[in-house]
Amino acid sequence: MSTTNQKMLPLEPPSAGGSLFASSNMLTLRAMRAIQRVPATFLPTLAMPIFQAVAFAGTYFAITKIPGFPTDRSINWFLSLSGCMGGAFSGLGLGFSAIRDIESGFMDRLRMAPTPRVALLLGPLLSSLVRTFVVLTTVLGVGYIFGARPTQGVLGILMFYLAGFGLAIVATGWGLGLAYRFRDMRGAALMQLTLFLVLFTSSAQAPMSMMQGWLLHVARVNPATNILRLSRQGFLNPPVGGVSWENTWGGLLAIVVLGTLTMWFAYTGLRKLEQ
Amino acid sequence: MTSTPIQGAPIVVQSLVRHFGSGDNLVTAVDGVDLVVEQGEIFGFLGPNGAGKSTIVRMLTTLLKPTAGHALVAGYDIVKQADLVRRSIGVALQDSAIDPLMTGTELLELQAVLYGIPRAKMHERANTLLERVGLTVAADRRVITYSGGMRRRLDLALSLIHEPTVLFLDEPTTGLDPMSRLALWEEVRRLNREGTTVFLTTQYLEEADQLADRVAIIDHGRIVRQGVPKELKAKVGAPTLVINVSVHQTDLAKSVLARFGDMRPTDEGSVAVGLVAGATGVAEVVRALDEARIDLHHLELNEPSLDDVFAEATGHRLEGATPTEAK
Repeated sequence: MSTTNQKMLPLEPPSAGGSLFASSNMLTLRAMRAIQRVPATFLPTLAMPIFQAVAFAGTYFAITKIPGFPTDRSINWFLSLSGCMGGAFSGLGLGFSAIRDIESGFMDRLRMAPTPRVALLLGPLLSSLVRTFVVLTTVLGVGYIFGARPTQGVLGILMFYLAGFGLAIVATGWGLGLAYRFRDMRGAALMQLTLFLVLFTSSAQAPMSMMQGWLLHVARVNPATNILRLSRQGFLNPPVGGVSWENTWGGLLAIVVLGTLTMWFAYTGLRKLEQ
Repeated sequence: MTSTPIQGAPIVVQSLVRHFGSGDNLVTAVDGVDLVVEQGEIFGFLGPNGAGKSTIVRMLTTLLKPTAGHALVAGYDIVKQADLVRRSIGVALQDSAIDPLMTGTELLELQAVLYGIPRAKMHERANTLLERVGLTVAADRRVITYSGGMRRRLDLALSLIHEPTVLFLDEPTTGLDPMSRLALWEEVRRLNREGTTVFLTTQYLEEADQLADRVAIIDHGRIVRQGVPKELKAKVGAPTLVINVSVHQTDLAKSVLARFGDMRPTDEGSVAVGLVAGATGVAEVVRALDEARIDLHHLELNEPSLDDVFAEATGHRLEGATPTEAK
């Protein structure tokens, strides 16, 4: 079995290594194909926010009768909660996919590839943003059918998208970070639990002016309150609503800080897989 | 950090150690392994399940960091130059890590992009590899429809996308039927003839015997023997005589056989001895057993095998050393 045609070690390795951009794009494409081939994996992410918007708006339609409530359409109030939840679910979905890849061994194949480690995070992040776009657009369309009307035109709708994308980034980082640390479905349970805790201890269901007790204190410091304010400004009436820097900066800051922290959490988690 | 490899052996491992857990739960999976794989050889890494084979492969392929020790693969340090190692090696791991929702072509294209192969060459390379492993017809089918053998062949094709100089195959034929196993062996030989150095882990003695130029035998995280299979077997010396007798006569049979050579480990219910006189001594053994009124149920004389090498080195036989056919 000895060979006469021995290869000497080359001066350069045979592979140049994948580029950040191309590798990320291919990983995004892979995630999109998975949705196309098994739509059931994406359906809950799409259906839950729609169901929530319609159900909450119907159940709590009388909330708009409270004096000082910033809109006369209950769906205008709950639409943003659904949009933010859709973005967050889209991001966490990539955490679930990462767990499946770890359990099946596909993550080993990705980790053995000579591609920048950041590409292994950027690929899922891009696909999470594509999923979020689909969810937000669908939520907006269904919301419109059920009576939602933007009060601030295109700029207000852009803010709705911005908040949804922001939460998708945060949730992707959080989901991947937990997936890389737990490496099994225990991570998935924690992802969902934290998402619900953070969203429902904010101003998700009622304006801050109508809250009392411990929930008011928690909601005040909860960054999700700022992100919801960012999202809602295009669907509420002034003075609470209306696209303004005052309604925007808090949400933007929350997204930048939480996005950076959670993506770092994901990156260090990826490194931990080698331990 | 230089990108120029140190010229020499493609794999050099020195005092490699890997622990898992800590405190009372500390497990030493790899315990000070040293080995050198020479240019252009097929190196067989043989050992039972849990011996540490896969842990060593995972360290050499940069998936896992060693607790202590050093290793160079393709001339690069596995910890400090992990990216250069990745660019140099091809790997097919124990469980074919293949996304079942993707097609063969899609997986090869993904792999090509991850390894930086230009788009212009990507399709040509994918088609060549698909043809090479006999998957051209199934190329556009989702992997979920592939048989175990097809998945292994696709896994091999994926590991070759960038024409690596060193190829790691971690138990490549586990669970395969005999035909698929033979086809994969032939492909490994062909790759080796083309100059690729192959690091092959297996728990099958026959596979190591058939393919490997040199083998290392690992047990409980330590290498217990290393060398050319023929020479290792020759060192064991005498052929092994194995007899089956009734359970209540086992001790008596042992005392009789001990007169003919060193006792060797064997399965429960059997007694084995290294028969110094070789085949010519069998008749005398049978006579001695008869005189001792031992009912002989079965007798066989085996030339030294890698299993004997393993038994001689570790004191026990290699479980699961014979391939189990896939259903």
